[in-house]
Amino acid sequence: MPKTIAIYGKGGIGKSSTASNVAAACADEGYRVTIIGCDPKSDSSITLLRGRRIPTIMDLMREGEDIKEDDIVFTGYKGVKCVEIGGPEPGIGCAGRGIIVAIALLRKISTAIEDTDLVIYDVPGDIVCGGFVAPVKKGLVKEAYVLTSGEYMPLYAANNICKGLSRLEMTLNGVICNSRGADNEEKIVSEFAKEIGSQLLAFIPKDVLVQTCEREGYSVIEKAPDSAIAGVYRKLAKAIMADKDAKIAVPLDDKRLRELTRI
Amino acid sequence: MPVKQKEPLIMHPRPSSIVAALYTLRDLDTDVVILHGPPGCSFKHARLLEEDGMRVVTTSLDETGFVFGGHDALVEVLEKVIKRFNPKRIGIVGTCASMIIGEELHEAVMDVQPDVPVIEVEVHAGYRDNTKGVIIALESALACGIISEVEFERQKSLLKEATMVEKRHGAASKEYLEPSRGDLKYKVAERLIELIKQGKKGINILNAKKETAFMFADINLAVAQVAQNLGNGPNIINMANLDVNLGLPKNRRNAHEVKDDLEKAGMEIHHIIGGLDEYPIAGNTASQIIGEKYADYDFAVITGVPHALPMDNLKNMELFSITNGPRQVVPLKEMGHKHVVVEIDLHPKTLGVNHIVESEFGATLREMVKDA
Ligand SMILES: Nc1ncnc2c1ncn2[C@@H]1O[C@H](COP(=O)(O)OP(=O)(O)OP(=O)(O)O)[C@@H](O)[C@H]1O
Ligand code: SF4
Ligand SMILES: [Mg+2]
Repeated sequence: MPKTIAIYGKGGIGKSSTASNVAAACADEGYRVTIIGCDPKSDSSITLLRGRRIPTIMDLMREGEDIKEDDIVFTGYKGVKCVEIGGPEPGIGCAGRGIIVAIALLRKISTAIEDTDLVIYDVPGDIVCGGFVAPVKKGLVKEAYVLTSGEYMPLYAANNICKGLSRLEMTLNGVICNSRGADNEEKIVSEFAKEIGSQLLAFIPKDVLVQTCEREGYSVIEKAPDSAIAGVYRKLAKAIMADKDAKIAVPLDDKRLRELTRI
Repeated sequence: MPVKQKEPLIMHPRPSSIVAALYTLRDLDTDVVILHGPPGCSFKHARLLEEDGMRVVTTSLDETGFVFGGHDALVEVLEKVIKRFNPKRIGIVGTCASMIIGEELHEAVMDVQPDVPVIEVEVHAGYRDNTKGVIIALESALACGIISEVEFERQKSLLKEATMVEKRHGAASKEYLEPSRGDLKYKVAERLIELIKQGKKGINILNAKKETAFMFADINLAVAQVAQNLGNGPNIINMANLDVNLGLPKNRRNAHEVKDDLEKAGMEIHHIIGGLDEYPIAGNTASQIIGEKYADYDFAVITGVPHALPMDNLKNMELFSITNGPRQVVPLKEMGHKHVVVEIDLHPKTLGVNHIVESEFGATLREMVKDA
């Protein structure tokens, strides 16, 4: 049974770049990794494919073709299997239903989410409707991680996500801090993790390398393997692959959240 | 970006997969079905199925349910159903509304933990072929251990054939089919009686879909009786898809009941061509028997699903077909059926019965011979 995870967090906080760097780091360790982009933006796998944009499941469905595994599962950095679900154009149709349909199709025609060691579902920042939690509801995601910075709004979002997860009776496997350079950030997020009943797995510093590599179409693991930040992602990858306790998170009230960010 | 259609568009309304799932659950002897969706969804059929003793209730999702989800409503209705009806077998059927918003039927079942089997059918009405609704229901019944793998595979291949039959000469054969009332019953009856009087030889075939046999069989019976009364009984060969050992529980029972009635009325069934759910393939068996034994016959009366009979061995006969689909008239005429009669609204009259029900065309035949 592969480890199946999803990283949640406020929009734009760094979920996709964290997911792809973790994927690359795990591939370096010899794990077989699959990444499923569940965001209509379909930007989850680009840095694992040297900047190449692959056709999405939704693109092919729109074409009305009979879809085969080869059409939607692509091999990227060190054998990482990449799938993008895609979606309708913004403001048209129903992206949530698209995810439900695409996941059902993927399970039917491909073994990419079974015959592997790690599956990462890269979800968009806002779980706007039922379709976006289909991977969780269908039992495909077993581990949830929350990514946040030490600022109030990202923490507020992280706290809300914890509420959502506990409603789904999903445990939280860890909190990751993606720094935006706020004061005392590591301490704030570490305290937050502790208070909701979880733990801080990694502190990823803000580093322009992430963005420069991304612009070229690479993860930092591939393009700058010896950088300090690559080391941080490797450490995070190890922490994710390790067995650890997971409890249902206990979200904080808003007053406490505000206090925390004032530390 | 334009969305491409996989198959050509069909514009006339056609049977719904949700309704197909409901009928399948009935055939599986389900006591109560919960439709998870808007209150009016599949209303007409939900109501009709109650004639057959199956209760259908709805979670009545409204605008608020669409927006906030219907999980709690489903849990509530499931609990109420268990209390009120004490069912031995429950079905939960999805609808477009609940499936689009990503409702998980299974979650409610996990919450309530009923001690009777629940068949969960994740279906909506957006499938091109309504047989998809049957397949999803059967898959779930298989998962619950209610039907065997063998029966499941058998049903699946029948459904594939049923879909093909509709594509070739049925409701899915054209972009648009004009509905029609068919030929005038007394005119057609007159011609049929004339042929029988002349001593012409005829084949009298019942190839009915499930319970519709309760009324279609009346027509075959009338043909046999009329021939008998006119002293030409032996000229008619009777065939029927009334194998009592095939199909889901209800289909077997119904085959038994219809066959019994026919035999009690003195009609000999010369050839059993399949079970009541084998209407897509029983025609092939009939065709083969005709080719071997009755190739020189003059006419054939075919009731039920006449368009499922291959034309090869019928080409030279004068064909009388009786359907219940107003949209089946045009395709049947195009196939070469000379007389096409529609028994309008036949299906509702065959629900909740366990004996043959009188048909208009059967009554017409009997009346005309009485007068003669
Ligand atoms: N540690 C970091 N240091 C510097 N830049 C970062 C870091 N992490 C992420 N970024 C940058 O932040 C931007 C947003 O990241 P990303 O697209 O991964 O966010 P996301 O959470 O997936 O967004 P969305 O919610 O829209 O899917 C990207 O340009 C990315 O390169
Ligand atoms: S659109 Fe679908 S859910 Fe709505 S009433 Fe029709 S069949 Fe039912
Ligand atoms: Mg992203």
